[in-house]
Amino acid sequence: MKGLIYRAARRILALVLLCLLGGLLGATLVRFAPGYGVDERELDPRLSQQTLESIRASSRANSSLLAYYRQFLRGVVHGDLGNSQWLQQPIASLVRERFPVTLRSVLFGTFLAWMAALVASLIVSLFPNFAIEVSGTLLTGVFIALPVAVVAMLAVYTGAPVSIAIAAVLFPKLFRYLRNMLAHAYAQPHVLAAQARGIARGRILSHHVFPNVSLALFALLGVSLSMAFGAAIPIEALCDSPGIGQLAWQAALNRDLPLIMNLTLLTTLISVGANWLANVGGRRVL
Amino acid sequence: MNPSRWLRLCGAAFLCAVFLAGLFAGSVTQYSYARQFRESPSAAPSSVHVFGTDNLGRDLFTRVLYGTRISLLLAPAAALLSTVIAAVFGSFAGFTGGWMEKLILAAADLSMALPLLFVLLALRAWLPLDIPPLVSVIATFVLLGLLGWPASLRVVWAAARNLRNSDFLLLAKAAGCTRSRIILRHMVPNLRPVLLAQFWISIPLYILTEATLSMLGLGVMEPLPSWGNLLRGLEDFSIVRANPWRALPLVLLVLSMISFQLILPAQEEIT
Amino acid sequence: MIARSLWGGLLTVLAAGSLAAQAQSGGELHFCLHGEPKTFNPILVDDEASENIRYLTGGVLIRLNRQTQSLEPALASSWEISRDRRTITFHLRKGLRFSDGTPFTSEDVAYTIKLLMDPQTHSPTGDAFRSGEGTVDVKTPASDLVAITFPAAIAGLDGLFDQVAVMSAHSPKKEMAVLGPFFVAEYKAGSYVLLRRNPNYWKHDAQGNPLPYLDSIRLDIQRNRDIELVRFRKGELQLIGRLDAEQFERLRHDDPSAARNAGTGLDAEELWFNQVPSAPLPEYKKAWFRTTEFRKAISSAINRDDLCRIVYNGYAKPAYGPVSPANHFWFNSALESPKYDPKSALALLARAGFKFEKEILKDSKGNRVEFNLVTNSGNASREKMAAMIQQDLSQLGIKVNVVTLDFPSLIERMTRTFDYDACLLGLVNTDLDPDSQMTVWLSSGENHQWNPNQKTPATAWEAEIDTLMREQAGAPTDKERKAKFDRVQQLVAEQAPFIYLINKDVLIAVSPSVIGTAPVVLNPQAFWNAEILRLSPGTALGAQK
Repeated sequence: MKGLIYRAARRILALVLLCLLGGLLGATLVRFAPGYGVDERELDPRLSQQTLESIRASSRANSSLLAYYRQFLRGVVHGDLGNSQWLQQPIASLVRERFPVTLRSVLFGTFLAWMAALVASLIVSLFPNFAIEVSGTLLTGVFIALPVAVVAMLAVYTGAPVSIAIAAVLFPKLFRYLRNMLAHAYAQPHVLAAQARGIARGRILSHHVFPNVSLALFALLGVSLSMAFGAAIPIEALCDSPGIGQLAWQAALNRDLPLIMNLTLLTTLISVGANWLANVGGRRVL
Repeated sequence: MNPSRWLRLCGAAFLCAVFLAGLFAGSVTQYSYARQFRESPSAAPSSVHVFGTDNLGRDLFTRVLYGTRISLLLAPAAALLSTVIAAVFGSFAGFTGGWMEKLILAAADLSMALPLLFVLLALRAWLPLDIPPLVSVIATFVLLGLLGWPASLRVVWAAARNLRNSDFLLLAKAAGCTRSRIILRHMVPNLRPVLLAQFWISIPLYILTEATLSMLGLGVMEPLPSWGNLLRGLEDFSIVRANPWRALPLVLLVLSMISFQLILPAQEEIT
Repeated sequence: MIARSLWGGLLTVLAAGSLAAQAQSGGELHFCLHGEPKTFNPILVDDEASENIRYLTGGVLIRLNRQTQSLEPALASSWEISRDRRTITFHLRKGLRFSDGTPFTSEDVAYTIKLLMDPQTHSPTGDAFRSGEGTVDVKTPASDLVAITFPAAIAGLDGLFDQVAVMSAHSPKKEMAVLGPFFVAEYKAGSYVLLRRNPNYWKHDAQGNPLPYLDSIRLDIQRNRDIELVRFRKGELQLIGRLDAEQFERLRHDDPSAARNAGTGLDAEELWFNQVPSAPLPEYKKAWFRTTEFRKAISSAINRDDLCRIVYNGYAKPAYGPVSPANHFWFNSALESPKYDPKSALALLARAGFKFEKEILKDSKGNRVEFNLVTNSGNASREKMAAMIQQDLSQLGIKVNVVTLDFPSLIERMTRTFDYDACLLGLVNTDLDPDSQMTVWLSSGENHQWNPNQKTPATAWEAEIDTLMREQAGAPTDKERKAKFDRVQQLVAEQAPFIYLINKDVLIAVSPSVIGTAPVVLNPQAFWNAEILRLSPGTALGAQK
């Protein structure tokens, strides 16, 4: 029990440190990217010199990265994630409002993509047939070649939720991985032997194939959640869905350092956390 | 002939035809990809313009052909680069284990979370504005390849980890093979299904990413065509409804992706 | 029988009244903002979304009629400007109240001006009033009389008050208590803003009915213009301001009654060359860009008619000067409109020492004429224009490299590093009065894009423009101001520091269910008369989505 707590604590600490490192690296990238510290309002001829100076001064406010980071860490201990420079609103409330929107879309989209990919790859594996194989190839070829923008607009035109668009983007990648994993597993000598002995397909799948690929499946689950969050950014931006993805895209275009840093922290947490849970899940199954 | 072999041949033939047409575009088409026929913008396909024209009156067939050079050459190269990097790091992490494994996985997770958009912006800032368009394109795809490995690393790692305690690897270890030899000669060949899947998935991703990158000043600049920039604007379906021939580059991309998938060796042939 | 006819008559009257009421009032107008509003405080507004909300909720002393382009009394029933143009005196309407019931008096005007001019507030609206050193003096001799004195004369003083929404000095709701036709009732960040009718709005129609007619206006936050059009076609939205040419053309094809062209707008697309002496460019390039013949040759070689026809589907006009013909008073109609003439362009270049040999243009020192043209990414029209300009200039043997950059990177190059050769951008004119563009025309100005922040004017013609702009700001009559600014326009046409390309038409989508729209070229083009807009009975009674 003590060992379990110790290991869990170590993992959590590693997670927290990794997230903070992610935030710092994200902030560094933004701080030194071209266009940081400039404001579109500088092109407004109606503004006086003093107003322009005050705009530039506020842009320079976070120019010392380490000082900003120290201030951020002090704030985060009290639950204050700072203010968005672009929206001029507290970041904590922005994330609180928008994160559930994205989470719902991503989870549902990932679930749909997995169901579709699993069913499709199982059909192809369990009923190896030229026509089915070709159909699978054609279907995934079409899906994978569709630009994200086209998928997003299809969702808008048909009134489909963002999660469907995310599922459509994830599906061909998952199908391809799963198809290859299952094909590899079915080609193993012990599986061939089981098939030769006339063991039922279902039993072969559950007792011989699945245990072999479970670790890879769980790894893929973790990666697919990260991919889904990555896909959510352009899809939400294009569909104008008020989630974290849209916020991240706009923050990047506006070089909003505090917001990008917090969002990087959040995506690192999700990415690492998802993969960690996937590892744990995989080990439990084995 | 075996139907799947037949299909594979068709796929290979299609890709060769497209690739050769792109390579010898100057001989296939009489027009320059930049020439604007301003009296006929968005013209429908005709004997004069086989695929019609785009909204600036440029011959679409010519632009598709010249765009093939960029997209069909550079996107697979970038995909190969990222897959190789993922293969090396993923198999190393999966085989070695311990703190090295944790470090590589953490680096991959971090890379996936970072806004690498800013790395690309920094590249744009560092490159002079008047570099030849081709150099900008090559630099872009190289960077995409160098940055695109984290997504596939986890999957490669999981597959490699699965193999870690396989009999053949243990035998190789016992026989005194070095770590690099075990990874390169014994592990990586067994990761081929995963690597091929990743390679195949990455190609259209890089073609399409290139189109998005032109919005940052990277990627292909006017008037050079690429499949990515030919696909921009297709999200507006009323444009496609009004000018259906504008979707021809998408049809070509889909057929190419299907062909890629067909020519990749089937799993039963590997084992 | 009499009773029956009485009842029938009563019912008829009630029905007529009801129908009239339905046609006149009620319902929710639904359209979009194209960005998140950053503030509801009217004196801090500096983005389009906030400005639209300010227009709909703010009560102003003087309103610029967007249709006639003339000033009209609003909260002030009349006003006078002193001869020295430093003092403006307003006679306020009596008995008015803010949306929360707080009375409106001259104290509120004084409070608003004080906030506006406070240097700590950094109000962009207030910047237009900063005329010189010294403080602004506000006197309120009566509750309906206020006199504001500025340290120095301000050109077009009364017109500037169109942007000043009066805030309450006493209301506990602070800036949320308003005098305009609507007030902000709900706001969900990233989603929508809901405005409701202000029950205390002072205006009535000719029949004495209270305005506005609408119950509410719902403004969805929608950045994607394609989605906006899809929603309009589905009937979810009733208005779209500023469609692009391609969207407009498609709408016109599918639903001609909804597509409205308000005519040539105030905005222009322009190109300029980098003339900053310290720019990190080779000296030979700087020499080209400083040569007037070079700039004029480029201007002659660009086919503006093709730009209008192909990029804007004919919904644009060629532009040759800084002021659009839509700006009735300030446009200089005497300016020549040079024609597209590559031959004369080559002649101009030859005069400047350039040589055109074997399809390549070289300068007198043998350097090939090649430059990069930067513009912002994501603007399809501008990218197309850049490609067409590239093609036009190739006829002169000039190689143009088009580079699209994201906006912050572009601004950094334009204003900090000056690391670019030529830039293609748009000029958004929200004000009619050229005084609002002082920082563009003064050589010391921040927005003097081709060579900003000069300590002394680099050229004689820039020195002349400096003098003329200062003189027009202090001129006693509009006629004198116009004469001076006409001369500025003439100089700009002669020297071509900005190469103006086109003035876009203002293209709007209006659902036939909206009654009373009259699209104009001044912002806000589609809903400038929101207080008298109505929805047709079917829409008003329950088409809300």
